[in-house]
Amino acid sequence: MDIKTDIAVAVILLTIALICVIVFAPGITVGRTGKILAFLAVFILPALSTSIGYTNHLERAESTSFCLSCHEMEDHGKSLHVDDPAYIPAAHFQYRRVNVEHACYDCHSDYTMFGGVKNKLRGLRHIYIHYLGNIPKPQDIKLYNGPYDSRNCLHCHLGARSFEEGAVHNLEAGQMESIKSGKLTCMTSGCHDVTHNVKDVATWKYWPSTEKP
Amino acid sequence: MPRISMIRKLRIAGGLVIVGLLVELISLYWNNPLAFMLFLSLGGGLVALGILFFLWSLVSAPDQKSS
Repeated sequence: MDIKTDIAVAVILLTIALICVIVFAPGITVGRTGKILAFLAVFILPALSTSIGYTNHLERAESTSFCLSCHEMEDHGKSLHVDDPAYIPAAHFQYRRVNVEHACYDCHSDYTMFGGVKNKLRGLRHIYIHYLGNIPKPQDIKLYNGPYDSRNCLHCHLGARSFEEGAVHNLEAGQMESIKSGKLTCMTSGCHDVTHNVKDVATWKYWPSTEKP
Repeated sequence: MPRISMIRKLRIAGGLVIVGLLVELISLYWNNPLAFMLFLSLGGGLVALGILFFLWSLVSAPDQKSS
């Protein structure tokens, strides 16, 4: 439990205590102070508690452990430890190009609840399938309906010298513009197409080799 | 009589908010997508319902001067 969760819990407990005072001693609401206390206890503080709790849940949903809490994501999590720099997620994770604590979110920042309405609805569908539906095999899980949105890559790589001056990115005239506009995607273009590739899980070697992912 | 009615409304509103907050509290100890759904739909829903009931009880209370 982190300090933010502790604060959320403390505010909720304080609110419950105040409401209990109002509910079990309603006589105090006759006076002006009591009315203000009731308004604070039954309106302001519950709204504040829910707001703090919501922020807390959203922050937690960005964590790697949150994403990997569903067992169908286990192989995707293991792919972060593959001992092969060709695997884009592994290279980003092991070379700390992403925050280890938010490894999934850093590259999937438009995923489910963090994306638009359609993404949010897909997130709800994922939860439905997880608990009530037929869970597909890890290799059959499609994280997106369409291609992976290159903006997830560009929000870090755009402006970086290694990207801007990369010889392959400037191989043909107008290529860089196509990448930046999204016409040419990083992964479906055949350049960076080794991502999680969970169908190969049985053949993986891990780094560090002594640590079980 | 209106005073008793107001107290009852206050208790109902308070009860709804307490149950909602308890659900939210439980969800905070659970790091899972379902916890977020539980927080938002059940916890948040009950708290919102309690708050709305409380506000409705305030605006629907008879004017003390006229009663």
